Amino acid sequence: MRLRWRRPLRRLPLRARVVGAFTLGACLAAFLLVVLTYSLSRGSMLGSRQDSSEVQFFANATQVQGSLRAESPDFTVLLESLPSLSGSRSIVRTGSDVWRSPSLVPSDLPDELVAAVEGSDQAHAMRYRLDGVPQLALGLRLRPAAVSQLSETLYFEVVPLAEIEATLASLRLILGVGAALTALIGISIGAWAGGRLLRPLATVSDAANSIAHGRFDTRVERSDDPDLAVIVESFNDMADAMERRIARDARFASDVSHELRSPLQTLRSSVDYLNSHRDELSAQGATALDLLASEVDRFQQLVQDLLEISRPDADGSVFERGLVNVTELVQHRVRALGDSVTLEVSPAATDAVVIGDKRGLAQVFDNLLRNADKHGGGATRVEITRPGYSVQVAVEDSGPGVAPSERDLVFERFTRGTAARKRGAGTGAGLGLALVYEHTRRHGGTVHIESRSDGQRGARFVVELPIAGHR
Amino acid sequence: MTTNVLAVEDDERIRTALRLALEDEGWHVSEAESCEEALERFTPDSTDVVLVDIMLPGLDGFDLCRSIRRISHVPIIMVTARDDTHDVVAGLEAGADDYLTKPFAPKELSARIRALLRRSRTVDGSGLPRAVGDLEIYPDEGVVRKNDEELHLTKTEFRLLCELSDNPGKVMSREQLLERVWGYDYFGDGRLVDVHVRRLRLKIEDDPANPRYVATARGMGYKLRA
Repeated sequence: MRLRWRRPLRRLPLRARVVGAFTLGACLAAFLLVVLTYSLSRGSMLGSRQDSSEVQFFANATQVQGSLRAESPDFTVLLESLPSLSGSRSIVRTGSDVWRSPSLVPSDLPDELVAAVEGSDQAHAMRYRLDGVPQLALGLRLRPAAVSQLSETLYFEVVPLAEIEATLASLRLILGVGAALTALIGISIGAWAGGRLLRPLATVSDAANSIAHGRFDTRVERSDDPDLAVIVESFNDMADAMERRIARDARFASDVSHELRSPLQTLRSSVDYLNSHRDELSAQGATALDLLASEVDRFQQLVQDLLEISRPDADGSVFERGLVNVTELVQHRVRALGDSVTLEVSPAATDAVVIGDKRGLAQVFDNLLRNADKHGGGATRVEITRPGYSVQVAVEDSGPGVAPSERDLVFERFTRGTAARKRGAGTGAGLGLALVYEHTRRHGGTVHIESRSDGQRGARFVVELPIAGHR
Repeated sequence: MTTNVLAVEDDERIRTALRLALEDEGWHVSEAESCEEALERFTPDSTDVVLVDIMLPGLDGFDLCRSIRRISHVPIIMVTARDDTHDVVAGLEAGADDYLTKPFAPKELSARIRALLRRSRTVDGSGLPRAVGDLEIYPDEGVVRKNDEELHLTKTEFRLLCELSDNPGKVMSREQLLERVWGYDYFGDGRLVDVHVRRLRLKIEDDPANPRYVATARGMGYKLRA
């Protein structure tokens, strides 16, 4: 069963999506802030400038209005005397007569404003650009001082807004930089949060890895975080269930083997008793006894191997761990099995000591030697070397060898190489090499098969164990 | 004088098969199928060795070991169907001298029995009395006194103490002790030594948690402090 991830944007990695979301959020927030701040500041700055300009404008207009009563008004002096607010300039137009500040000509006024002022009694204001500089133009049609005055008098004032524009420009710059900084902070918070968010996942992944490597008691520490607690809980539940299941399977094999021990005890004792009285048997009886004895041997070996292999290896206590001199052990086993093999020990390996269970390691070498006997015509050479922080024991035979495709397979339980597929006398139950694998693994070591180093026909089984203190 | 073996085993077929094998050795075998029956059959004066299966109906083999230990120092061999640490150590703590795991060859059993009998009848090595601290050891008589008071050691504990006192101050590895005390070759179980040292300390030390006599040489073995 494979569950699909419920998520959009499936192609983007989770972290990128978190960073992206944060960046987007930060940019959006920064953008809104900039736009809002800018438009508000601009509005309020221009508004206040317009207000003060209008106040000035009306005061000036009143003075101009006052001068209208004169017979032939000349506004030149008046215009010069009018207070000028931050460089404001004025124009008075009566019919075709125009009085103006020196730098302002009537064509500088926006036509719309002029038209609007001509058409109403109300004051008009408008912002426009003159020679690239923003200006505020104000205009009013003055009341005629006498009925005789036929032509209308218009009064205009133009206030430059360049100063405000400069202020706004620097405000824009500041806001832009601020927005960029905010976005940057957003990205970094996103990256940090993404990492933080994924850290629990990394912990879970480490735990899963550890379980995959056989440490079934690995659990993830409980979390106070309600979101994480769910993941942790379900992960630990899964690990519990799996561990229970593995333990149950192992216990079943172990229980079966234990149940077999009692009948085996009777068989063993009876067969041995018969064997010590075989001179009382007929020749046929002795042959039958031999058959029985060899089957009992095999049966016993099988039960013992099964027990050994189904041992829960998480429980280190079942092993009697101690310091084991590998060379000494191998010498002992080679002698015990009465094999006539050449034992070659490199000087560095003579005092190579590993931490482990002596009997388990003895079984490793026994089984390799026995395997060589069964399938390789007997071990020809055993070599002990010490590459780096490990000790290597190689058992060579002169049999048919093991095909490269079968080299991993032979360490599986109950498989036999093609060469030995037919079950003949003395063939093992198929657990010997599986046990070799299991024991070396429990000792933190490895086992593999090579071709013989001298190029001759035959297999070379290599066990490598970490030296004590270097596991 | 025939050797009397008391075999306590609830499986009749195993009992019979073992009796055949042990009688072949020229020993006399009496059988019991429960703890209660075993205690009835057990005679401190004439029973030379007891073979106890751990799994017995009713009171189990551990109880039987403890009951026998209260009245006798007779060698006890425990038979287990499981060789996990718990059973082995519990059996040794209960007072067993050695153990075998089913299925074992009858030859292995008789070898174990012989090793136990040898050490319970004669103590080889130099039989000269020796003194270590407040302890006086008389190897030939099988007697240990502490402040003139006789200590009650089992034969195995006594033998262990003698081996250690043969080489005072020198560390003896568990392998060496297994070979000399139990007669094992390369593959004796170090737990035998550990548990017996623990039991020995309980009897000879003033404070077994801080032993004055039997010191542990970590990762190497044990030694008797001179």
